[in-house]
Amino acid sequence: MFRKMSANGKPLLKKVTAKSDMAVSAIALLALISVSPFWALNQKAAPANVTADLPAGPMQAKATTACLECHEARIILQQRLSRAAWTKEVDKMTKWGAVVDGADRDALIDYLSSNFSPDKPAYEPQRTTDKNGSGRTSK
Amino acid sequence: MILRSFRFVDVESPVEYFNSWLTPVPHFFVRNHMHEPSELDASGWRLSLGGEVEKPLTLSLAELSKMETHSIVNTLECAGNGRSLQRPQVPGIQWGKGAVGTARFSGPRLGDVLQRAGVKPTGKHVMFRGLDEVPGKVPPFIRSIPIEKALDADTLIATHMNGSPLTRHHGFPARALVPGWIGAASCKWLAEIKVLDAEFVGNFMSPGYRFPNQPAKPGDAVKPEDTHPLTALSVKSVISGPSDDATLKAGKVAVHGAAWAGEADIVKVEISADGGATWDIAKLGHDQAHYAWRLWSYDWKPAKAGDYTIQSRATDSQGRTQPATPVWNPSGYLYNAIDLVNIHVS
Repeated sequence: MFRKMSANGKPLLKKVTAKSDMAVSAIALLALISVSPFWALNQKAAPANVTADLPAGPMQAKATTACLECHEARIILQQRLSRAAWTKEVDKMTKWGAVVDGADRDALIDYLSSNFSPDKPAYEPQRTTDKNGSGRTSK
Repeated sequence: MILRSFRFVDVESPVEYFNSWLTPVPHFFVRNHMHEPSELDASGWRLSLGGEVEKPLTLSLAELSKMETHSIVNTLECAGNGRSLQRPQVPGIQWGKGAVGTARFSGPRLGDVLQRAGVKPTGKHVMFRGLDEVPGKVPPFIRSIPIEKALDADTLIATHMNGSPLTRHHGFPARALVPGWIGAASCKWLAEIKVLDAEFVGNFMSPGYRFPNQPAKPGDAVKPEDTHPLTALSVKSVISGPSDDATLKAGKVAVHGAAWAGEADIVKVEISADGGATWDIAKLGHDQAHYAWRLWSYDWKPAKAGDYTIQSRATDSQGRTQPATPVWNPSGYLYNAIDLVNIHVS
């Protein structure tokens, strides 16, 4: 679990405020995983369940660095927004600390609005299947 | 449970879980805006109360626990519950129908704590600050409620949920419990209460958690000055069974679900199996409390095999009824359109 999170967090450590935040996040996440019944995900059955990746594309790496410092990919994967709405989101998140080079802004908006536009099929969220919340997963 | 996000934690209950009046804590939705506090030490935790009060004070958990305890069964719903059903789609956690649950919350009255500090006549709003850890330059999750709601005898500083201490996900060691209102009013990991002379100014009061004063055309922008802060929940019902797309055998079909109305009471739930041409009254469950949902059930006997759409429609004591079409707004709040499932009877 920790190795997986660290691997995904690697590019984030380059960010301005990332080190302390990431350390705190990792601790919080580990604490959360350890105390939460529905977070005790079955890693053998579903190794990719803890994190999700942004789709491939020319901006994948930069979007990962800019966006996933603060939140995980699922928050993006589930959106279905117009280009105008993505523009507002990117500008809001930049104001809130996402590091987006001015030269990359339009390409980032292109990447998000082409991958997560209203005409795409709805995102299928992961489920835990155990009614007692012990966390076996499907999908 | 349905995982909307792992970091931050946003988890939804499948509607088929809504078959018990009290939602078991492991099945209760979780909505976090930020990182959960990395350290929560009950013995070191303190709640400070200041602002427009005569005697600012600080309480430990032990001191809070010595105060008279009250219990409120409350249906807590995220303002964005149902957002994924809005068209056009709007940004935010794409909740289905399950960012809602009902629990018995217990703790001292917020009003008793405020009274101990002595609210000055200038105190008009009460601000809550939690221990959420803020990433980047994201504005902190701070909101306020009007003093009248804060002093209401049913508004609590909750330390327990369904008889057990709050879990980390639900705000241990103490949270505000503002019954009947959107979940965002009930600040988790409560650390500071401040009495203000005006509504708190911050992102999560404006532009966040506001609703258009006038109906908005779907997709239209709404100016901030044409909006107001969200407070109480709308009237709403959901069908917890049969499941959408279920295939059922002909005969008696048990249709069931839950209905709630924030500060109002559910008066009736109606069911239609003919596209809304006719509606029959569902039976309301025995368990009830002022701010809590009512479970409901309806025995439906389809006349013949085929495809059917089952709809549920709740009406409350304020005369509000679920609309046929959702009331669209730019952030997708308070979705409460008539619920429906499509089923096949073989």
